[in-house]
Amino acid sequence: MTRQAFMARLREGLRGLPPSAQADIVADYENHFNEGAAAGRSEADVAAGLGDPGRLARELRAEIGLKRWEEERSASAGASAVFAVLGLGAIDILVLLPILMAVGGTIFGLAIATVAVFFAGGVVFAAGPFSGIPGGPAAAALAGIGLMAGAASGGAVLAIVTIGLVNALVWYGRLHYRLLKPALEPQTLGGVR
Amino acid sequence: MPEAIEIQLKKGALELCVLALLEQHDSYAYEIASQLSESIGMGEGTIYPLMRRLQADRLVETYLVESPAGPSRKYYRLTEAGKASLASQKSAWSSFSGAVETILGGVK
Repeated sequence: MTRQAFMARLREGLRGLPPSAQADIVADYENHFNEGAAAGRSEADVAAGLGDPGRLARELRAEIGLKRWEEERSASAGASAVFAVLGLGAIDILVLLPILMAVGGTIFGLAIATVAVFFAGGVVFAAGPFSGIPGGPAAAALAGIGLMAGAASGGAVLAIVTIGLVNALVWYGRLHYRLLKPALEPQTLGGVR
Repeated sequence: MPEAIEIQLKKGALELCVLALLEQHDSYAYEIASQLSESIGMGEGTIYPLMRRLQADRLVETYLVESPAGPSRKYYRLTEAGKASLASQKSAWSSFSGAVETILGGVK
């Protein structure tokens, strides 16, 4: 593979990452080619030594995704960490996907239920005192507050469980990280591509 | 699965080797990669994801040095946290490899 082809495939694999991270990574590998050339190695030799640019891009992407998840616990960071781990190919996606979809669907359903209970509580709280519920206005207002509080705590538990699940997946992905895979089969990769 | 075991072994050892090299002297990625690819047979490209991780975990830090040939080089050096991590990984490694050696010697 030529230097140009290697860099093109690397850039393609990095697409979507923050521009500063992309520029950093591209500069690292450009430097590597420069150093290789200065040491008298051919482009093809340096490229073969580096391994598969697509796989390297996936590893770099996973590294950045996992780091972001560790630093900011947001839904989008969690989603990108999950996809980055899946992209590594460290986990058999055919086995995992149905499980992931079932778990994800359950969490999504519970989240919607929590929101619905919260709003129902709001309605009971606001409308209950005027609708002549047995027990009087105070009981209706308290019931409404109770429903809302229950929904809020349910939502909090759900968030904790979700974070825990994503953490578990990330931990598993790291454990099975194929960081050295290209190192062990550079010849086969060089031959195929 | 000899291949899987080899991957796991090298994966565990790679970070330790990089930290140990940097303890001897500060270095830049190309130099680290070529040293390690010769001695333990790892792909040179894998050094960059690892260096990014070490940097993100604040075990190493970088500084730029003018190079005689062309653009300046990014040198890596160990941080205090990096030295501490190296020390604990080193002792874990030697007690583990010592135990394995003893067993292998006994089996022979």
